Amino acid sequence: MNIQFTEQQLALRDELRAYFRQLMTPELVEECERDMGEGGGPLWREALRKMGRDGWIGVGWTAAWGGRGMTPLEQFIFVEEVMRAGYPFPFLTTESVGPVLAEQGSDWVKRELVPKILSGELLISIGYSEPGAGTDLASLTTSAVRDGDEWIINGQKMWTSLAHFCDYTWLAVRTDPSAPKKHKGISMFLVPNSDPGWSCTPVHTLGGVRTNATFYDNIRVSNDHLVGELNGGWKLITGQLNRERLSLINFGPVSQLFNQVAKWAASAQLPAGGRMIDQPWVQQNLARCRTLIECMKLIVYKQSWAMTEGVLEMADASAAKVYGSEGFIEIYRMLGEIYGQAGLVRSGSAHATAEARKLERLYRTASIITFGGGANEIQRDIISAAGLWMPRASR
Amino acid sequence: MDFGLSQEQREVRDLARKILSEQVSADTLAPYDEYQSPRFDRALWQQLLSAGLPAVAVEQRYGGMGFGFMELALFIEETGRSIAPVPAIAHCVAAMLPIQRFGSEAMKEAILPGAVSGELLLSAALSEYLNEDPGDPRAVTAVVDGDELVLSGTKSAVPFAAQSSHILLSARTPEGVAVVLLDTGSSGVTLHDLQVTTFEPHCELVLESVRVPAAMILTAHDGARIMGWIAERATAAICAHQLGASDFAMRLAASYTSERKQFDVPVATFQAVGHRMADCYVDVECLRLTTYQAASLLDSDVPATTEVRIAKIWAGDTGHRVSYATQHVHGGTGIDRDYPLWRYCLWLRQNEMSLGSSAAQLARLGSQLAAGEALFS
Repeated sequence: MNIQFTEQQLALRDELRAYFRQLMTPELVEECERDMGEGGGPLWREALRKMGRDGWIGVGWTAAWGGRGMTPLEQFIFVEEVMRAGYPFPFLTTESVGPVLAEQGSDWVKRELVPKILSGELLISIGYSEPGAGTDLASLTTSAVRDGDEWIINGQKMWTSLAHFCDYTWLAVRTDPSAPKKHKGISMFLVPNSDPGWSCTPVHTLGGVRTNATFYDNIRVSNDHLVGELNGGWKLITGQLNRERLSLINFGPVSQLFNQVAKWAASAQLPAGGRMIDQPWVQQNLARCRTLIECMKLIVYKQSWAMTEGVLEMADASAAKVYGSEGFIEIYRMLGEIYGQAGLVRSGSAHATAEARKLERLYRTASIITFGGGANEIQRDIISAAGLWMPRASR
Repeated sequence: MDFGLSQEQREVRDLARKILSEQVSADTLAPYDEYQSPRFDRALWQQLLSAGLPAVAVEQRYGGMGFGFMELALFIEETGRSIAPVPAIAHCVAAMLPIQRFGSEAMKEAILPGAVSGELLLSAALSEYLNEDPGDPRAVTAVVDGDELVLSGTKSAVPFAAQSSHILLSARTPEGVAVVLLDTGSSGVTLHDLQVTTFEPHCELVLESVRVPAAMILTAHDGARIMGWIAERATAAICAHQLGASDFAMRLAASYTSERKQFDVPVATFQAVGHRMADCYVDVECLRLTTYQAASLLDSDVPATTEVRIAKIWAGDTGHRVSYATQHVHGGTGIDRDYPLWRYCLWLRQNEMSLGSSAAQLARLGSQLAAGEALFS
């Protein structure tokens, strides 16, 4: 037990901070803010390719993949720092789907696609949910039907975030409609978003972030596009979701935001005298947030360590997701309270500080991850069953 | 960064868990309820001493195992899991550690071997009325007389004071803060029994012109720093105790609700029950991580004020929430004195309120932040 970074890890962190200070030009920062922290713009694309060329995206990948051969903990330090720098990093592609493709993809996927992920040239959106299949994901109906050496894919997906600028969709489809248990008849495909049968329409959300409905109309793909075993997709989905749950709870940006708010409160003078931070309730809110975020940090570090050691527990991945997603909402509320009305000013207005305007937006976006990536009710079911061995009601 | 236990750490934990699970049960604890007898199992204490556990962090030349604070915290966690009737935090953390760190060689040789063997029992007085900062004593004062100190005043709620041979305490002097190891047999020492929620033996300690010889003075002036050092370790130890106790209560509730049937099904299968237990799991995990972080930093002797404070906030919040959630899902069984849970609820409360509640710790953390400290690196 030694819950401190090594000298090398601290040096890596400092190196990354210096790197991102250079990378995040004012123009790139402005483009990222315009894109609501989602990325996808030309400067964003170029910065991603540069990170790939400089060997950062695969810092925790083995040399065989072109990575630097460090552990998941170093990989996590990289993701934490890139997010802390304010760059909307496509972690679903690199941290969540990428490792599954490297493990389970066909030779073609491993040869043609995985290296492009590490070089920052390939982006993948995730196609799980459907209009009739959300929490009960295994009831999905998008289908892949074999036709000779090829597969014909038809159906509709919902909430396919980032799809409008991604190259492929990691698509869950039904390949065996007669399987006795519905989750046994699901397979995973990589479908090119450039196919003429692929289309998407935007869905605009409370937080201002765009997501998509995507449509799959007689898309033909070769068997190379099947990932893992036929009808063995469910395991890949749950494995990917465990990784996604960790990636969602990145504490880098929120610790940075916390520091900015605390420093602002220590400098802001009240008209009646004294500083904002001299008020007991402001100190109380800051102390609560500090306590919450400290634990968020430890939870994600422990998960990264557990991945390195190969001892990642399902209950702990779900606990991280529940804690982090609900923690973010609390944190944004308590930090927003410190700004009061100034925390209601939108980014389009020059009034209020940049952090206050960011909080205005974050508070609107935070609800997504309590249900996205697997509803927290399902996570709590997993925790009580896998973590405490409690029996579950049959569904 | 390593969240795993070393071979030695696993051995310490397993040995403690084995002895304590064999020797402590609802039946062995019942005779202490309502102060029928002092809540101190001397035979168990001697068995733990023989196994080397209370002295796990004492140097080998005084008879200890020579490990660090992390191993000691793991032992304390097990005393919390079993809510064992032993003075582990008072003796091992609040007294032996600072004597080893700050005592003169003569004091160490006079005290530590006896404390390791069980011949001596040590405690520490860390609180005064309305004052939980032992580094800033107000009620107990000391004046210099030759090379002795003369102490007067009152310390509140000293655990195991009546059973102890020596009590470590701080006193305000004209120049600063003194720290002494008080022989409880000294003239002018009066102990008043104090009954507390857990039935642990506590006393109010009244000092009337008590003379402390030079050999028993750890410092005459520099006590604020030493008492801060002690308070951080005692606080982290309370967190470890709370971790063990809340983890046990949670698992007891998980197992009870898995067996207990209503409407012909285990009550655990109701999502409302399962989710309440899942929230306990998350809380206990948070307490575990923040406590282990604090213990690990203290073990490495690096600054840990903020991390200890945060762990104590979790100890207060987790203890409170786990106590009420586990009682609730047990229904009436949870409060029935024939079932083991109720005593855990008492301990979760005592640990929550000892050495600074969540609210008090949050206020201190808030002051740090207002001073520009404790930001994320």
